[in-house]
Amino acid sequence: MRYALTLLIALTALFSASLTGCKDKGNDAGGGGADEIRVGVFLSLSGANADFGKTTKNGIDLAVEEINEAGGINGKKLVIIAKDTRSKPEEAQTVAKQLASQDKVAVAIGSVESGQSIKAAPVFQEAGIPMVSPSSTNPDVTKQGDRIFRVCYLDDFQGQACAAFAYKDLGFRKAALIYAQDDDYSKGLAQYFREAFKGMGGSIVEEAPFQGDVSEFKDQVSKIAAAGPDVIFAPVYYAKIGLIARDFRKQGVTVPLVGGDGWESPQLIQLAGETLEGSYFGYHYDPDDQDAKVQGYLKAYSAKFGSDPNSLSALGYDAVYAVKLAIELGGGSSADQITEGLRKIKDFKGVTGTFSIDENRNAKKSITMLKIGGSNLSKVKVIKPEDLK
Amino acid sequence: MAKTVGLLLAGLVACYGLNWFLAEFIEVVYVDYLNLIGIAIVLAVGLNVINGLTGQFSLGHAGFMAIGAFVAGLVSIQLTYGEMSSGPLELAGLGTFLLSLLLAGLAAAVLGVVVGAPALRLKGDYLAIATLGFAEITRILLTAQDSLGGPTGIKRIPKMPLLPGTGAWDGGTSVFWIFLVVFTIVLFSARLQRSTYGRALIAIRENELAAETMGVRAARMKVMAFVYGAFFAGIAGGLYAHYQHSVRPDDFTSIRSIEVVVMLVLGGLGSITGAVLGAVAVTLVPQLLRPLEEQLQVNGLSMVVYALLLILMMIFRPQGIFGQRELSLKLFRRILPGGRK
Repeated sequence: MRYALTLLIALTALFSASLTGCKDKGNDAGGGGADEIRVGVFLSLSGANADFGKTTKNGIDLAVEEINEAGGINGKKLVIIAKDTRSKPEEAQTVAKQLASQDKVAVAIGSVESGQSIKAAPVFQEAGIPMVSPSSTNPDVTKQGDRIFRVCYLDDFQGQACAAFAYKDLGFRKAALIYAQDDDYSKGLAQYFREAFKGMGGSIVEEAPFQGDVSEFKDQVSKIAAAGPDVIFAPVYYAKIGLIARDFRKQGVTVPLVGGDGWESPQLIQLAGETLEGSYFGYHYDPDDQDAKVQGYLKAYSAKFGSDPNSLSALGYDAVYAVKLAIELGGGSSADQITEGLRKIKDFKGVTGTFSIDENRNAKKSITMLKIGGSNLSKVKVIKPEDLK
Repeated sequence: MAKTVGLLLAGLVACYGLNWFLAEFIEVVYVDYLNLIGIAIVLAVGLNVINGLTGQFSLGHAGFMAIGAFVAGLVSIQLTYGEMSSGPLELAGLGTFLLSLLLAGLAAAVLGVVVGAPALRLKGDYLAIATLGFAEITRILLTAQDSLGGPTGIKRIPKMPLLPGTGAWDGGTSVFWIFLVVFTIVLFSARLQRSTYGRALIAIRENELAAETMGVRAARMKVMAFVYGAFFAGIAGGLYAHYQHSVRPDDFTSIRSIEVVVMLVLGGLGSITGAVLGAVAVTLVPQLLRPLEEQLQVNGLSMVVYALLLILMMIFRPQGIFGQRELSLKLFRRILPGGRK
């Protein structure tokens, strides 16, 4: 029986001995020294979603480089402390604790996946550090505390905008839904689309949810084909939409598909170009926008990383500039001042559009509907939040 | 009995001391590692009774943990806020917290009976697959419940209650509560192993037919082992819920079940000491490699090193670090010069 106790003592001794990091009191979160502002970044840099994290990180790095080259913010340089969440929500909380207590960052940027953002949020909230999510679209994220912000639009707005676009602009009345039942993004979008489309007077003629990582959609497709919809709403990720579109065309269904920002990928055209001809999806910005800011960003990104940016990198880029603006508006670089500044953001002009932070700490911004035609994308319409009211 | 109570009281004091010490001197980051290790130990030592002692290969531990986490989270939310809501975290009352853990354990234990029952018919790989299936069913059912937050799960689970003399420091009293459970399960499991019941479980592992011939009620004992493991997995889930403040069904994928089995195999299947050591290693190695990863700018390196360690381990020491041996004061006495043999 004694070994229960022995074990506990041995373990404690072992652990304590291996610790070098004793508590250093006095130096409270101030976000770095006099000439730097420490910005914590937590993203999936390895694991299943490494692509999300890496492209976002590229955008963040680009923005930080530009700001620092231009002399920093009020003479202070931005210092990025990046932590890898290994694509696991649980690890997001662990690294959040490291950023908050060890690295003593003034502000945190992350993560892409809503699950990770929700796990990390309470840590930053408790530590009094503002957190800015570049691209977590789940409505629950910013509800985790009054220091949790985001610079992207929300799933509810995205679903409603797609519904309005299909009903008012394309003039369709009969819609069908295909979505992943076990994915909060897909399921959420489908739900908001359904409510909004019905609310406007349209009807949902068929719903064909699927579950898990499937690559065959025959059953769902024939179910929808039988109902004869005018338009199909498919809020899925880009890897799936190609397969779904292929199965629809195979069965002779040629009505347009409509989707959300999950479709976006440099490979979209390559994976599904022909089958998605004439389909539409909602996106964060128009890549062909001749606006100087957008073009400047696209050029700088391609020059630095040798690849085309996507929406995640653009949102990462905007998140950094939003933090910069918050520091200027809040009058300083302490955690509290940045939080105050973030709340005051109005008509901020970023690559992903102009936005203001509303009272729920969400970005109020427009969505750009793009049409897939041949081998390129073209802007069809920009839907603003006030258009839906 | 008196001895057990004495030991538990000693454990209580030790955990309080540990909590105080860490709050006073150690950085939160390391306390976080310690807490994650503690939860892993509870899982591993519990599974050791099923897999190690009784020899019933279960791959469903994440399922029990999931049930515990959701039950504890919901009970705690209900009693603290009255409904699911958003806002800053609050502290759970002492009674609420203990009740939520107890209910978490009981709910998981009931499921242990449900899963343990087919265990009477299935053996080896078949049982492993059945338990894996059970855990997946649990996860998918939880995902489908919109009232439980669907895929994003439940949020704003209150913090663990404070104790007299502990301030509201960053890590709170999590170390105290988690290690109190660790201490309890290690103590109980050690006792169990040496009791009539434990011997009966070992007999089933070695030869079920022979054990039954000797009068061991194998069916009943196997279910008991499942209930024991599940109960503590449920409590581990409850602790996890209060520690992370939000739980989602995807926190409990089959990967987690496998991780717990890896802890056991690494430490030595059938050894409590091994289970503890395995839990420490599996939790700590990826975290300790983090600075190296950041230094070299190679993300994902830790997974490679971790997998490599497992492979080397299986080649050079397939029985695990401890095999079926235990670490005890007796062992120290034997090693020390002049000690009793």
